[in-house]
Amino acid sequence: MNFFNRVLCLVAFFAAGVAPLLAADTARQVIVKAIVTEDSTEKRTLIASLVGQGDEAIPTLLDAWRKDLLFFYTPAEGAKIAVQLVGEKDEAGAQSAVRVDTGAPLTGPSGQPRRLVAGDLTPVDHNSSLRRAMKAVLDLLDLAAPDPAKRIQALQTIGQTQDAEKLFALEARLKLEADPHVLRILREAIALIHLKDAKTEVRLAALGELKELHTLSSTDFLKKILADAEDAKDAASASAARSALVAVERHRSAVDFFGTIFRGISTGSILLVGALGLAITFGLMRVINMAHGEMIAVGAYTTYLVQNIFGAGITIPFFGLNLHLGGLHLTGSAYQWYFIAAIPLSFLTAALAGITLERTVIQFLYRRPLESLLATWGVSLVMQQILKLMFGSNNVQVGSPTYLSGNWTVNDVLLGWNRVFVIGFGIVIVFGMWLVLTKTPLGLLIRAVMQNRAMASCMGVRTTRVNMLTFGLGSGLAGLAGAFLSQIGNVGPTLGQNYIIDSFMVVVVGGVGSIVGTVISAFSIGGIDQVLQQYLPAWAPGLGWVPGIGSFLQNLAQDAAVFGKIMVLGGIILFLQWKPSGLFSTRSRTLDE
Amino acid sequence: MITKFAKMFSIGAVALSALVGSARAADTVKVGVLHSLSGTMAISETSLRDIIAFTADEINAKGGVLGKKIELVVVDGASNWPLFAEKAKQLLEQDKVAVTFGCWTSVSRKSVLPVYEKNNGLLFYPVQYEGEEESKNVCYTAEAVNQQATPAVDYYLKEGKKKFYLLGTDYVYPQTTNLVLLEYLLSKGVPLANIGGGFRKDEAGKIISAGKYTPFSHTDYQQIVADIKQFAASGDACVISTLNGDTNVPFFKEYAASGLTAETCPVVSFSISEDEFRGLPADKLVGQLGCWTYFQSLATPANKKFVADFQAWLGKSTVPGIVKTGRVTCSPMVLSYDGVYLWKACVEKAGSFDVDKVRAAWQSGVSFEGPGGKVTTQKNMHLTKNVYIGETKADGQFKILNHFDNVYGEPWLKGKFK
Repeated sequence: MNFFNRVLCLVAFFAAGVAPLLAADTARQVIVKAIVTEDSTEKRTLIASLVGQGDEAIPTLLDAWRKDLLFFYTPAEGAKIAVQLVGEKDEAGAQSAVRVDTGAPLTGPSGQPRRLVAGDLTPVDHNSSLRRAMKAVLDLLDLAAPDPAKRIQALQTIGQTQDAEKLFALEARLKLEADPHVLRILREAIALIHLKDAKTEVRLAALGELKELHTLSSTDFLKKILADAEDAKDAASASAARSALVAVERHRSAVDFFGTIFRGISTGSILLVGALGLAITFGLMRVINMAHGEMIAVGAYTTYLVQNIFGAGITIPFFGLNLHLGGLHLTGSAYQWYFIAAIPLSFLTAALAGITLERTVIQFLYRRPLESLLATWGVSLVMQQILKLMFGSNNVQVGSPTYLSGNWTVNDVLLGWNRVFVIGFGIVIVFGMWLVLTKTPLGLLIRAVMQNRAMASCMGVRTTRVNMLTFGLGSGLAGLAGAFLSQIGNVGPTLGQNYIIDSFMVVVVGGVGSIVGTVISAFSIGGIDQVLQQYLPAWAPGLGWVPGIGSFLQNLAQDAAVFGKIMVLGGIILFLQWKPSGLFSTRSRTLDE
Repeated sequence: MITKFAKMFSIGAVALSALVGSARAADTVKVGVLHSLSGTMAISETSLRDIIAFTADEINAKGGVLGKKIELVVVDGASNWPLFAEKAKQLLEQDKVAVTFGCWTSVSRKSVLPVYEKNNGLLFYPVQYEGEEESKNVCYTAEAVNQQATPAVDYYLKEGKKKFYLLGTDYVYPQTTNLVLLEYLLSKGVPLANIGGGFRKDEAGKIISAGKYTPFSHTDYQQIVADIKQFAASGDACVISTLNGDTNVPFFKEYAASGLTAETCPVVSFSISEDEFRGLPADKLVGQLGCWTYFQSLATPANKKFVADFQAWLGKSTVPGIVKTGRVTCSPMVLSYDGVYLWKACVEKAGSFDVDKVRAAWQSGVSFEGPGGKVTTQKNMHLTKNVYIGETKADGQFKILNHFDNVYGEPWLKGKFK
């Protein structure tokens, strides 16, 4: 980049927002010139001359050019015009167009807006060197963008390309940048560019700076410097690079550690919301409810229905009838509320399904647990088939509302909003359940009936009704789990099958009948699973000493996701040998236990 | 005397059966369709049954093959691999079909292969697979690894990508493909340290498996996505995914939530075509890449006509249980379609339905102008075809970014790239 361009850039950075005074042509006219000229060097020069201009048309047009959205249109009455296609295609495939040189809509001879189809147009071509020139312009524009995320993105791109020509722009920006996160990336980008400097002391200073910043993104560059320095027998650079790498690795292990804790809690809370309902129906009521998974599926499909009702409506075939649910056709932020609306509804539908199941099947089987196992398993197959008939055997799409798709990155540790939400929600329902069971009359009755059904009945408690409500509560909680799981995994007719085993595992390990046990076991299992997933690859190579399976264990790195789970299951089997009644065994006075 | 009578009787019986046979054979030829119409694979394979029915109707309307109408014999493999072999046996020995179009998963193909080899039948196989196989009884219209995976890597290299993360579902296709890709990347000068996912080595230290693997129906991708995020932190990284089926949903949800995008670290998926898109959250996949020998968005007149004809056929189809709305066309469907026409061309070139003669015609090189462009049969039972790289759009279609024309299908790739 020549001196003239540097001056232009500096002008742009110190006088951000001030209209360009130097250019006689507007940015649009410069771009048209660049489009029209045949000479590729001139094209690049013209594009490069846009650096530092504050015209809002620049990013739009260059972006459109790079994405093949600029075309030449030759009207019957005259010379070819460069246009940008805008808006949606209509049925004939036509789109309206905007003139590149003025930004005004393209009109015909009589002034009516022209709509163009692909056949009328020849795309404006570009090659990789031209695209690089455009990217350079855009990156520098983004350095001053109001959105910090955009600035970080631009800085990372510049830093990673180690383009010394942009150094002055970054240094100019250094004095203006106020956001600490962006500033860190900015300093990193400058240091990365300095790594390529010819002078040794500049390189050493840059290595010192990178050591201080210890960003994960500098790892590969440091490794390369280290390898080069070792080849060149440059001891000073090598040791500086090595100590910078050590700092980065220390940071990385901290990130991994806290990331694993977060992921463990998040996995644990998913297990927990899935298992809480079962902790009531199986734990308190001792009904081996194999249809628990299908209650989760009912909740997930309710979320799907609510999403469609908030949108365009849905027609579902229901035993030969076509049940049509009209849509509210909401858009924007109103539509985003669908998930909040779906939470109580999924509780209600699953609770209703649970109460129906209790009244029609389970109430006759309280004294025959093995038969209730078979009967509920049959019910689960029937429910899967009903879901298939209603919604098809394909998975359905449940979108994530904007407030659940994103993340906080705290010191490089990723905290996904959906995960944070599930954790918070897990805490809320555990607390809510504790309140219901210990502080309400219903909770008192539930505990009384579950402890001794016959005695409670003698005392005048309507046990059948309490049974029904308890089962409804347990199923409703499963429905809530379904609403949340729709944000994390698939929603399909066999959704429940994926969670039923895990749910039983959590309840059994925690101790059947103990809610506290369920909570602790969910978080322990989740935590151990994530720790193994994270650290097995690092530990595995050191496991060669194990007799017989040592070489097998050494190769676990790839399949950590599977072997983590297998080891958890194996551990649970051993644990249950030691404590057959789980973490917290409940004692009761009934003789049959 | 008795022997003479027996002889006469048997001659008469043969003549009679030949007469009956020719009376029936005069108007139709039996063609087998062997796909899963129930079970886990039904979602994908039913579409192939539909497209073959459509193609047969199209060919029959124009007079059939060698003057004979195609009579489809549809059997259900039910996503049960041993059952596939049973059904194949039934097609070949009982129904005596001239050719079979079928199978999706590699394991179902491996299951029926001995049946076709024993009976000298002919199977057309239409779905991308791992290679390392070349049977004279199978016409592989499918994409070989060098018609899907290596062109995608070429595209990434051209885009300046330097780090490659390999991720797949744990079964034969991803394992084999990733090993081939590992060799290919190393041959292109990508250092081992820049290939992510992990390796498994045998006693001698030779890499026997590359990449990160998760089981079918895996849902927890938190740790893997965090790993990719760190892998991609230094830039110029990309992911090559052979994840299969519905595990793509939790993977892409997690991927999007972690802030990774197609701009910072694109993912190319070899198992997501337009048809699979129907069950995926499209907004989470926008900008990610696909690589196939056909996309529905191809703007050729042949493809536009094909798509329109198929939709019109769906509208008036009487196939029981056929899904009529929201249908799309995708590469395995088009390769099935091309397969039927290639078989027709081979039969016409050979002048016979005899398997050996049809195979000879195939090996001599027959071409067909399909919706995805020209396809040509090869001596090694594979196909030469065009390869396209596309970027996914919010409507579940692909915008075509690049294409490689007339790529020769090469099944034996292990150890080829040095």
